[in-house]
Amino acid sequence: MNRLKKACAVCTPLLALILGLPTMVQAQDRLLYQGPFEIDRYKGEAKYYYLKVGQDSLLDGSFQLQRSNLEALLEKEDAAFSITGAFNRDIPEGPWRFQFGEFQSESVSQVVDYQYRVSVSGTQQVAEGRMSDGRPDGPWKYAVRRIKDSEIDTTLFESTIEFEGGIPQRSFRIGNDKSTLVGRLLRNGLAHDEWSLFVNDEMGTVESWVFENGILRTIQIEQEGISTTTPVFDTAYAMMQTIPLDQRYLQLLSLYLTKGNTLAPIQGTMSQLLTENARYYNKIDTIFSKLGKASFSPGFKVQVPLFPLDSLEKIQLEAIKRNFGKSKTVSSDFLNDTQLNILRRSDKEAQFLYLVIQALSRDFLNPMEKVVSYGKSNLLEYVPRNVLTEKLWPLGKPGTDIKVNQGSEPTDSPVIFKLPNAAQFDFNGGNLASIQELSRYAAQSLDSIQRILDLKLSRERGQQELAGLEEQLITQSNILKERIDSAGIQLPGAHTKALLNIKKVGESGLSDYSGLKEVTAKLERARMLVKCLTDLNGLAEAIIVLQGQEKKIQETYQDRIWNPFTATLMDEEVKKRITTAYRNILTPYFLERVQTDLTCENARDIASLMGSTYERMLALRQEETSKLERKLRKERDPETVLRLFNLPSATKE
Amino acid sequence: MKQYHNHSFPLLWIALLLVGSFSGLAQEDEVEVLPSESEYKEPVSKVWFNTYGNIRISKRLFWDAQTHFRFEETGSTPFIGQIAQIYNRHAIGYIYSKKFNVTLGGVVRVNFNTDPTSPDRNVVPEWRIWHQYQFAMPLATTMIYHRIRIEHRWTQGFADNSEYIFRNRWRYMFRMKVPLNSHKFQPKTIYVSPEAELIMQSGKAVVASPMEDLRLTTTLGYIVTPRLTFAAGLMYSQGQQLENGGIYKQSWTMRFHMYFSPDFRRVKNKLPEIHLDD
Repeated sequence: MNRLKKACAVCTPLLALILGLPTMVQAQDRLLYQGPFEIDRYKGEAKYYYLKVGQDSLLDGSFQLQRSNLEALLEKEDAAFSITGAFNRDIPEGPWRFQFGEFQSESVSQVVDYQYRVSVSGTQQVAEGRMSDGRPDGPWKYAVRRIKDSEIDTTLFESTIEFEGGIPQRSFRIGNDKSTLVGRLLRNGLAHDEWSLFVNDEMGTVESWVFENGILRTIQIEQEGISTTTPVFDTAYAMMQTIPLDQRYLQLLSLYLTKGNTLAPIQGTMSQLLTENARYYNKIDTIFSKLGKASFSPGFKVQVPLFPLDSLEKIQLEAIKRNFGKSKTVSSDFLNDTQLNILRRSDKEAQFLYLVIQALSRDFLNPMEKVVSYGKSNLLEYVPRNVLTEKLWPLGKPGTDIKVNQGSEPTDSPVIFKLPNAAQFDFNGGNLASIQELSRYAAQSLDSIQRILDLKLSRERGQQELAGLEEQLITQSNILKERIDSAGIQLPGAHTKALLNIKKVGESGLSDYSGLKEVTAKLERARMLVKCLTDLNGLAEAIIVLQGQEKKIQETYQDRIWNPFTATLMDEEVKKRITTAYRNILTPYFLERVQTDLTCENARDIASLMGSTYERMLALRQEETSKLERKLRKERDPETVLRLFNLPSATKE
Repeated sequence: MKQYHNHSFPLLWIALLLVGSFSGLAQEDEVEVLPSESEYKEPVSKVWFNTYGNIRISKRLFWDAQTHFRFEETGSTPFIGQIAQIYNRHAIGYIYSKKFNVTLGGVVRVNFNTDPTSPDRNVVPEWRIWHQYQFAMPLATTMIYHRIRIEHRWTQGFADNSEYIFRNRWRYMFRMKVPLNSHKFQPKTIYVSPEAELIMQSGKAVVASPMEDLRLTTTLGYIVTPRLTFAAGLMYSQGQQLENGGIYKQSWTMRFHMYFSPDFRRVKNKLPEIHLDD
């Protein structure tokens, strides 16, 4: 008995350890989160379990995110949602249910038993089904319903698709309140047999697509009792490729169905239903992929003929892209140019070229834009090139003669634009090479038009710029005169003389300018003069502030010294050699230069030298300058003084 | 015997001197006869050349170095006269604030016998310990100064073996400095400085002559830089003769002053402290 007790004493903790281990691990690792949570546009209260693996947390176990706001509902409207399901280490697994609603409350409430009831109206979307290994599995249903007084009023949309491991199976049904599409699929998800579209309040099929192993053979349309059949991929093709039935496929179909009337249904109900369904699936997919690892799509597949681009075609496509990009910029720049738009009203040639650009844009660039866009979305390899050219230029490709009707009357004979080397272009053939030729012709045409128009416009712009510049010149010259006249009265002689010379230089510049006749020369001179007057203004300002600066320097170079005999603090000028050099050598030198040696070219340099000298003077106060003061003792040459001050020498030449 | 000799010899010749002129040295054991009315002697003229050095040695301490050359008229040289005293005043001053400073130091004065007929020593030293308290008060553009100077003074006559006598001097001076061509004291300022100083004395030898000197001066000064000032002025003074309080000396003195205050401290020590405390 004792031994048994002993053994038990040993075994019990061991047993507990062994039995307890998995639950402990589970209890340790799987954590519960309960609180606010946001995913995509959905912000609400969440309750979910997760595992902590290193730094990551993996969703594991049930997941719930929901929101409903009674207050918002009663006040105006509430966007409620509820997402429930489960994860297995971040992968959606098991039953899932999504519910999105937008409700308004009815103002009537009712007490039933112990509850207040408020009926609501609005729309509700519900998606329901199972997930297995992150893919839809089994039947999935997506329904959009209109709710009125808390009851289903109409079903706006409903799709039912049966999945097996993410691949749609057997048959599906997609419908809205007007029509329903019923289709069949092979086990691998390829469209098969007849896909029929019924209009709810009419008898019989309206449109049906007949697939054969994913290949859309024909489209049958019944309109007002007459049935038409349009073949699509009806021949045997050398190469086929399986692609998802999505927007791209629908776009591709519109390329094949060139002949008038069959174009309509493609943009019609059938594709509308498929697109709408895809949009809803995408909405769920977005939520799934933001939460964990999943792929959620209808997964319909089709087969299309493949005409891969060879290396030459790839080069041609690049060239088309390049030419198109260039041409598009030029043409849209000109078409939107306000100046050209004004000019063309008075200038006949400009008007003609404007119309040519319009024609080029319409006949060359717009179809080409599609080629570029198809190229970008990799559609070109599913279309025979001749089909493409026929589709893009249904009335045939344009020629090298671009005819525009200049007159207002349709009877006026058109004027023709043609490149001189037009003979070198060959637009024939249903291939990319011919499109490349077209793009080249458009680019070269626009290039030559640009040359003519740029010249016209720049002349026009030049005149306008000149007017602007002259206005600026007058303003600046007035400012200069005013500045000098108002300052000159209070300034000492040398300053006034310098200012007067600045005025003189400005005036002689203006009188030289007024003697010019030719626009280009005038423009150039005007631009130069604007700069000159700006510089002269700056220089005048520098001379006007000179006295103030001298005063400031004098103040800066004062030191307060204790005089024991008067028991007062006295201001004493320190570093006198520096201030003297500034006052007696540099300032007179600047004024002298402005009086005798001023040109438009050096005005700015003198002004900036004066400015930097002032700055340097202020800085020297604080610096150790005993050596400099010694050197300044007998120095009288301004250039040397400037050099000693570490300032750039004024005469650069 | 020695004592007798000490006393009797100067007595003899001073008696002679008293007869010849009113100047002479007093003797304490001589019977003083106060005149019935105060007697004013003829003023003598003097010329003083004074240098005042004020050398900063730290933020608050300075070395006060003064050397004065004082000339006095004599019979043979009437106006400027001959050197009477060379005056060496040295002290350490402490700048308590802009308005108050104190100074303590010593003086060695070399007194020259200005009497060519005297058989006595030509030169005798005089020793002093002095301390001074100076208050400076700005009043509008003017500065007003009150100076209290106390001197402990040991003097002796020119006669051989004459003994030192000890006296205390109590001096108060009132002085103003008024800038004339400027609103404040700054370089290139000319100022006028009226001053009045009363010098009182005490000691065993002082019996009836406590008022040693009353000096009334007006000076015109020119500030060259904060470190250099020149001034010149005219001083009238009168005071009781030590040995007879009834007799008043008078003098007119031309005074020439140079004030200098170099600052040999290195710039980096000087810069932050130079403004004292303002």
